[in-house]
Amino acid sequence: MLHLIKKNEVDIYDIPIAIISKQYLEYIGLMKVLNFEVAGNYLVIAAELGKIKSKMLLPKSEYEDEEEEDPRDELVQRLIEYQRYKEAVKGLIDNEILGRDVFLSGNRNGNEKTQELELIKPDLWSLIEAFHSIIERRKAELNADISFEAESISLEDKMAQLKDYMVQKRIVHFFDMFENHYTKFEFIITFLALLELVKNRVLKVLQNEPYNYIEIIYLGEDQLG
Amino acid sequence: MDNEYIKKAIECIIFISDKPVTVDDLLHVFNQFKRAELMNLLSELHDKWNEMSRGIELVEVSGGFQFRTVSEFSEVLTNYNKEIKKFRLSKAALEVAAIIAYKQPVTRVEIEEIRGVDSSGVLGYLLNRRLIEITGRKEVIGRPFIYGTSLDFLETFGLRSLKDLPDLKEIKEFEDSFNGFNMNLQKL
Repeated sequence: MLHLIKKNEVDIYDIPIAIISKQYLEYIGLMKVLNFEVAGNYLVIAAELGKIKSKMLLPKSEYEDEEEEDPRDELVQRLIEYQRYKEAVKGLIDNEILGRDVFLSGNRNGNEKTQELELIKPDLWSLIEAFHSIIERRKAELNADISFEAESISLEDKMAQLKDYMVQKRIVHFFDMFENHYTKFEFIITFLALLELVKNRVLKVLQNEPYNYIEIIYLGEDQLG
Repeated sequence: MDNEYIKKAIECIIFISDKPVTVDDLLHVFNQFKRAELMNLLSELHDKWNEMSRGIELVEVSGGFQFRTVSEFSEVLTNYNKEIKKFRLSKAALEVAAIIAYKQPVTRVEIEEIRGVDSSGVLGYLLNRRLIEITGRKEVIGRPFIYGTSLDFLETFGLRSLKDLPDLKEIKEFEDSFNGFNMNLQKL
């Protein structure tokens, strides 16, 4: 939500409710098309926005001398509070972190107690988010010009390439798959190849929590023949 | 037993311990000493290690002392063994952990009210990683779980105690920054 508001570059105190609602509903529409359960959460927020909008459209109450609370206030307060914690995260992440900047002796590093990685099948949205975060991270290096003929490869060829790679590696981190990629084209074609191979049951994708740590696993021969 | 001997013994204990060593831990072993005396020795030991400035340092964290590598060498270590970089928390996990750290004790519903989205998945993950723990139940309808941060949380983020959490930015600071933002917009 905060993201949409910032994206529209508005003063948080003057949120154009109509625009934000519209974008939000488009967002939800997209997700419905892609069949996501997550849509439910966002519908609640959209409904709230609608409620605020309708409150604002109502004719001014006859008690005009009363200080009418701007119905956007509550939303604003909530967003501000959320923002405080996001800022706090920056402060926390700045410290010397165990398992990232500093380490202990022997093998006792980070949180050993994480062996029980419960892996679940991620939905398409998580994959898209993960893909998006890789692109964001590598934005600076990425060559956006996708017209280099030399770089082009067909989807089928990429799928074959990716499959060979996975036969060798067996299990790969989602993020590591894009290690040697430097053009936007490579990123996209690899991602599409991955999706196709998953559809064909050649590869399996698992993650251990929403939004994090995704594993690609080679399943064996093309099961759709 | 002279003080130097005790300090060396303490070093051994810190070395083999799998979590930060507290004064209480030491009192069990050196029961003839008073708390203040042991704290002094620890403090001297700490100063000595700082002075020596080695690749390993003695750090005060999570209410105790622990040997850790100096952060300057994190790259060398990853080159040596890339498996050691275990810290991989998502933005969502960090946000929930921060909310719990500052607001504890807090329930899932209270966390979700702030974030506006379902947080049960992230909570499960953080619990698994032992960064947060269930500290009880709230005595209201439904008796929901109450969450708090663990000692592992302090250890991971290099905090001596919750008092070391960076101050939450005052709401006023946000108002100011948003107003400034708006002013800039109007100039366009």
